[in-house]
Amino acid sequence: MMKLAAGLLILVLLQWLGQWGVQSLELNIPGQLLGMILLLIVLSFNKSLLPWLEATSGQLIRFIALLFVPITTGAFFLGPEIFEQLPQILIVLIISTLLAQWFMALLINRLRGRDK
Amino acid sequence: MREIILQQWQLISATSWPLLLTLAGFWIAWWTYNRSGRASLLHPLMIATPLIYFTMHSIDLDFATYYAGNGILNWLLGPATVALAIPLSQQLRQLPAMFKPLTVALLLGGLFATLSALLLVKLFGLSDVVLLSLAAKSVTSPIALSIVEKIGGLTSLLAVATMITGLAGIVMAKTIFRLTQLEDERWQGLILGVTAHAIGTAKAFESSPSCGAFATLGMGINGILTAIMLPASMGLFIS
Repeated sequence: MMKLAAGLLILVLLQWLGQWGVQSLELNIPGQLLGMILLLIVLSFNKSLLPWLEATSGQLIRFIALLFVPITTGAFFLGPEIFEQLPQILIVLIISTLLAQWFMALLINRLRGRDK
Repeated sequence: MREIILQQWQLISATSWPLLLTLAGFWIAWWTYNRSGRASLLHPLMIATPLIYFTMHSIDLDFATYYAGNGILNWLLGPATVALAIPLSQQLRQLPAMFKPLTVALLLGGLFATLSALLLVKLFGLSDVVLLSLAAKSVTSPIALSIVEKIGGLTSLLAVATMITGLAGIVMAKTIFRLTQLEDERWQGLILGVTAHAIGTAKAFESSPSCGAFATLGMGINGILTAIMLPASMGLFIS
């Protein structure tokens, strides 16, 4: 329990630092992401923080779907203007995912062929 | 700094009874999902959200009240985003000798996933707000959410789009891998991570640990790259 709380505290502090950094340096990226990059840099130099973070991050990532329940429920309230575009949106999502996977698979085959 | 902290405290302190609705809905969904042997189309979000919507409808609860009442969950999305650094750093440490093809595949693949979606949105003549909401659909949800908040799309539409993308991705991937004769599980993992984010990564871990490791790598780095490039380049697509 102590470890969970300590881990959360570290994550929150880094998030604040990221948001503060983005604000004061006027960067065009999300603050949480800067926090994540900062943590990535810290961890690549110093692994001693890792045992404090593993439990919290593991639980947060395992139940991340729970965190998305409220915002996803909001989709039912998007209104007629969006609902009318829904069939096309669905097609866009499916085709672009299909194309991206296909493109990547061919690209990887090529890259590997050249390396051999 | 003070403002940032106060803003977040407001989010947390607004938490109230609608949180119970979310927890109950999620618990039912999680149980059903596990009972079904984790069938993709019974993803917890697919079950929980309609359940909650119909409950809200029957007790006459509006979305603004419901959403504010779940403040603590919305607040936790921030730390959850930062937490993505942990699995990513574990994978980066054992970044293999395939560094160069990996970087090329990641960069071009991520770019292609986003560009193809944006161009299709334009092709179908969908509105700008839809374009802004779908721009980050291949990125893992917490990062995608912060990108869409930043560029001004509809976060709820993005959340659904991300879920559909992930589900479509894991359904189609098998056929794509067979047709292109891509048999190496590590590369399959990378594709799953880049195109189907967390849902794809979970699927990759079911194949093998190394497939999952590459998916984690693909998902994490694609998220970072998209978050850096997308906000700066959205102007090109909005008339």
